[in-house]
Amino acid sequence: MMIDYQHLMTYFNESPIYIQVAWGTSLILAIAIVCLSVYLKVLRFHLRKKEIENKLLKSEYEALIIEYLYTEDELGDGHTFKESVIEQLQSAILIESKRKLIISILYNLTYEVSGELSDTIKTLYIKAGFVAHALKRLESKHWYIIAKGIGELSHFRIDNVYNNVSKFLDHPRLEVRKETELYLVELFKFKGLSFLNTLTDTLSEWMQLRLLETLQKFDDQQICDINPWLKSQNESVILFAIKLAQIYNQFEVQNTLTELLSHPKKQVRIAAIQALTHLYGIEAKEMLKANFNDLSLEEQICFFGMLEKLVMPSDEPFVEKYLFHKNFDIQLLALKILKSINIEKYMGLSKTTTNEKDSSMIELVNTI
Amino acid sequence: MDTSTVKIILQILHYIFFTYAFLAISSYIVLSIISGKETLNYFKKKSFVNYKDILSSTLSPSITIIAPAYNESLNIVENVRSLLSNHYVNYSVIIVNDGSKDDSLERLIKAYNLEKINYIVNEKIKTKPLRAGVFKSKNPAFERLMVVDKENGGKADALNMGLNISKSKYVACIDVDCLLVEDALLKMIKPFLDETETKVIAAGGVIRIANSCVIKDGKLLDINLPKNLLVQSQILEYLRAFLLGRMAWSKLNGLLVISGAFGILDKNIAIAVGGYDTNTVGEDMEIIVRMRRYMEERNEKYRVSYIPDPLCWTEAPDSYKIFISQRNRWTRGTIETLKKHRKVAFNPKYGTFGLISYPYWLIFERLGPIIEVVGLLYFTILIVLKEVKWEYALSFLVLSYIFSVLFSIVAIYSEELTFHQYKKKGAGVKLILLSALEPFILHPFVLYAAVRGNFDYFFKKKKSWGNMVRKGLTTN
Repeated sequence: MMIDYQHLMTYFNESPIYIQVAWGTSLILAIAIVCLSVYLKVLRFHLRKKEIENKLLKSEYEALIIEYLYTEDELGDGHTFKESVIEQLQSAILIESKRKLIISILYNLTYEVSGELSDTIKTLYIKAGFVAHALKRLESKHWYIIAKGIGELSHFRIDNVYNNVSKFLDHPRLEVRKETELYLVELFKFKGLSFLNTLTDTLSEWMQLRLLETLQKFDDQQICDINPWLKSQNESVILFAIKLAQIYNQFEVQNTLTELLSHPKKQVRIAAIQALTHLYGIEAKEMLKANFNDLSLEEQICFFGMLEKLVMPSDEPFVEKYLFHKNFDIQLLALKILKSINIEKYMGLSKTTTNEKDSSMIELVNTI
Repeated sequence: MDTSTVKIILQILHYIFFTYAFLAISSYIVLSIISGKETLNYFKKKSFVNYKDILSSTLSPSITIIAPAYNESLNIVENVRSLLSNHYVNYSVIIVNDGSKDDSLERLIKAYNLEKINYIVNEKIKTKPLRAGVFKSKNPAFERLMVVDKENGGKADALNMGLNISKSKYVACIDVDCLLVEDALLKMIKPFLDETETKVIAAGGVIRIANSCVIKDGKLLDINLPKNLLVQSQILEYLRAFLLGRMAWSKLNGLLVISGAFGILDKNIAIAVGGYDTNTVGEDMEIIVRMRRYMEERNEKYRVSYIPDPLCWTEAPDSYKIFISQRNRWTRGTIETLKKHRKVAFNPKYGTFGLISYPYWLIFERLGPIIEVVGLLYFTILIVLKEVKWEYALSFLVLSYIFSVLFSIVAIYSEELTFHQYKKKGAGVKLILLSALEPFILHPFVLYAAVRGNFDYFFKKKKSWGNMVRKGLTTN
């Protein structure tokens, strides 16, 4: 054996450098393979074991929490069931994996219950001591842990930590700033949107969606004045405000929305047409009709969508000009509009047209 | 030529092969490091995102799933049920029956209570005409579903018909037999909605192999490692490609392909570039390359995004014949796309796309198999001429083999640390053993299929898709 080893070493030492490098690297990689394989085995065993444990713990804590939620408040000074649950959770959350598990159970339950039960979950969250752990997260040097902490406080609507959270409005990471903004909205409802007054970041569509969904959860749907946001320098804030105007039927901002029809950005102009359609913006309709040829194709299609909803008999001469428009959507809408305001004239169209495509369109609209 | 000249030529050839192999291996290492970092970053970002807040939102953007079907009558009813069971609120499903010769349409009509509706297709992209027409369900439970029966024009043509009909801003183009996980649409739409400075034009996710998995009512109930070695090898191959490759290309904004099995496109851009190319068998890669060119030529900031979550499960070929036919098609698709867009190659006007992604695909994906075959032939000649320096050959052969095994194990390791999908006892050992076997049981066939693909492209001008015989995913 020793001789073989010596022979190998001699062969290796006498080999050219390239061969030495190749064999040397192969040896290192082979050792890495062995180590990784062993580690993979250990890792998989650990993951499987953890999963089984989590499954058991999950069903145990889930049952406990559900029982807590559905137990009436007990009277008397004795050690009640609810107190014992809180104590169990208090000791459990000292272990990180258990804390994560219980938080996930509470998260899931909040989606399944509402009203009083939702408040009970919040009370349990506070009494069991989760707030302190979430606040600890805010002290982390990792941005994603801070974001997670804020998200948790926001989800359970913990309002007495406002000062601890609001300082993150200026955090260098966008994700942290966004979670903080959501926290403010969760806490102060529409007033929490005040960050929009000075917002310089672009509000992503995802964030807009999250904000709108958060706002829709509240019983009190009394919206604040959105005019300043409609006039914002931040285009994404304008788009968000237009959505608010549409969802919350803000008829009083029609004039500001009409002004946005001349906004330099097409996306804003289109969103404004859509909102004005929803808000019955008759004046805007007349204005757009007068400037129809100056509009982009997308705006023209959008305007015809508006006309379909807000059409009046006086619009007939305008609509007639577009009955055979080369754009499919405009033609289809023009035909539908004519049919709705003057069926006789519409029925006569098939006699006057010879174009096969136009005839099929007329026939199609006729069946709608 | 004297002996010294021959020796110099041989020396040059040695260095060319060595440099190529060195660059290929280095690129794998660099890409896997970037992938690892990017995956970690993705998990950090995902750690505080609560998808449930948005899942039921009626304000979320609309998505149309377009699923072309050709002679899929065996499983079409179940497959459509699976597509209709996604948890996203604002979506619709268009099944394009591409001139099937079987009774797919009749089965759909019966199962979903369909009736023909009057419909004129706004032909923004030219397609084959409608055959039986457009169908909607009389049952409100299936109101999301629309079935379009058209004359046969191939997968690309069917997808184009879907693009013409869709009224959504985004379209999810998928294979009808794919199984989407319930939150697939929500997770895939997020990159489109998250970006503020750049426009996301397309997004793709990880495709996983569903052979031997237990599926019931369109839901994946149990994940199993198949017994078939070929399918197992493909699982390993997919893990490597998706976990150690695509995530890096996403970070570099260099993705040239979003799998045709499942990807979401920005519909307006897809239509603006003329839809899917019906003259290629690699339409999924071609449209992404064309969309990228479109954005580059307009100097618009854009991204092709990718997320590592396993969102789509599909059936992989379980026989070598079908496997070779599939890979042959992939090769022809790559050749056609790269040839069609050769203007992009090494062109600084196209930025990363022209200077990194395209050249990488050209050198390592397109030319890789050819260089490998030339290398093997050259090695054979050297053996015949007794010019092989066995000390070198053996040491480098062992090194490359050990590297390939290690690379696969790193992919398995990434999988375990991230999604840990193959949980059953024994699956880990099987995958590790497979890492050692895969270079012998899969790679030679991949190489053969690629060579056949080249041959078919240049000599047979084969345009057909080839047969992909599906057995259907396991149901319980």
